[in-house]
Amino acid sequence: MSQSKDNQTFDPFDPTGMLKQMRDSNMESWSKIMTDFVNTEAYAESTGAMLDAWLTTSGPFRKAMESSMAQAMAQLNMPTRDDITRLAERLTNIEMRLDDLDARLSEGASSNDTQATN
Amino acid sequence: MTTKESTQAVDAGMPSFSDVCEGWHRAAENLDRFNRMLTTDAKIAQTPKEVVWTLNKAKLYHYIPVVPEQDRKPVPLFMVFAIMNRPHVLDLRPGHSFVEYMLRHGYDLYLLDWGEPGPEDKNMCFDDYTLEYLPRAIRKFKSISGAEEFSMLGWCLGALISTMYAALRPDDGLKNLMLLTAPLDFSDQEAGGFTRWSSNPAFNANTIVEKLGNVPGEMIDSGAKMLKPIENYFGSYSMLWDKIENPGTVEAWHAMNTWVRDIIPMAGGAYKQLINELYKENKLVKGTLQLRGETVDLKKLKANLFNVIAEADHITPPCQSESIMDLVGSEDKELFRVRGGHIGIMAGRGAEKNTWPHMESWLSARSGG
Repeated sequence: MSQSKDNQTFDPFDPTGMLKQMRDSNMESWSKIMTDFVNTEAYAESTGAMLDAWLTTSGPFRKAMESSMAQAMAQLNMPTRDDITRLAERLTNIEMRLDDLDARLSEGASSNDTQATN
Repeated sequence: MTTKESTQAVDAGMPSFSDVCEGWHRAAENLDRFNRMLTTDAKIAQTPKEVVWTLNKAKLYHYIPVVPEQDRKPVPLFMVFAIMNRPHVLDLRPGHSFVEYMLRHGYDLYLLDWGEPGPEDKNMCFDDYTLEYLPRAIRKFKSISGAEEFSMLGWCLGALISTMYAALRPDDGLKNLMLLTAPLDFSDQEAGGFTRWSSNPAFNANTIVEKLGNVPGEMIDSGAKMLKPIENYFGSYSMLWDKIENPGTVEAWHAMNTWVRDIIPMAGGAYKQLINELYKENKLVKGTLQLRGETVDLKKLKANLFNVIAEADHITPPCQSESIMDLVGSEDKELFRVRGGHIGIMAGRGAEKNTWPHMESWLSARSGG
């Protein structure tokens, strides 16, 4: 009894004491309310719509920025982001072929070893 | 304050001046520690390992064995983690690491880290992960280990990739398949926030990928956190503050937070496929999913199967993993339910006493020569 009375008094040593008390008494119900809320159709729809709106409105700015950067890089005789991306894609393809060649060479080497042993 | 006044204050139930100073000093120290926990990185993934293969951003690690060769299990274990997180959670911190645990039990351990996709990887999809990268990594690991048979552990989307691979390449030497919180069956469109959000017509994965290329890690992270907003945005930090003077808890929290903060984007192609073909159309379970023109038929999955489900998983609700048991062709299969959440079952405090021993004993019985 006296313990619960103590808990309700403000403790100057613990500046977050009041927050803790609020949390302990309300956290579970808040958690349930919020979890239920984010699982509603209304939340799903509004999130989807907000995301779509953000992508739609920011798209033209992004495109304008990319296009002006591409022009600037071309003026400077420098590769653009797209050039580097295409080059990286080609490198990945080459890497895959090298990996296959490496595997075949290893297989060949191990079968040669086996034949030599026999 | 004189001694007489101080004594009077204590008698009246008032704190003394020195108590007040000490209390505020401790609070300041705690605040400093709290701030450090939020803004610095703990040392995670410390178990010694070597890179034995790379392809694009993917790396294959081999962990240095800790038991003599004659005591090791003949069937090595190959681990595949999700594509939108780092795999360090499998080796979180010394003394509390699944990797360490399995090495101690004599497994020859390999880990495939998909790496962080760049803009040039925006079209990478599950076809690439399952039929280009994974088979090559397995080919390399088999050539290094010399083993004809192997076990595979897949977690989250890593479990999805492992399942598809096991169904498409049943004769590739895969003996045992362990799935952890595998998102496979999306027939219940009301189970879990992700399914509900992505099934809404307002949510368009194609637009996201078309505008952004790869899906930013921040977007995926905030989506996962919004599934339980109070716990993730408030509860976790208030728990840390409560336990700030407990070094063990603080250390564990710091390691986990370091892993959580280290977010990576998800390849756009895989994201589109995940939302459209799996979450919305449930093609894997319906038997209509095709990778590189090959139909993924779960009946062709023959490996021994151990399917771990987290009962309180809000990211992959149990119903998304359970039904696989009736769909695969495996004769030896076991469903294991663990109390806990998506990550907690493997990285939480109870993992070492509950999840890991069960997994190890199941695998040990099937890892003989």
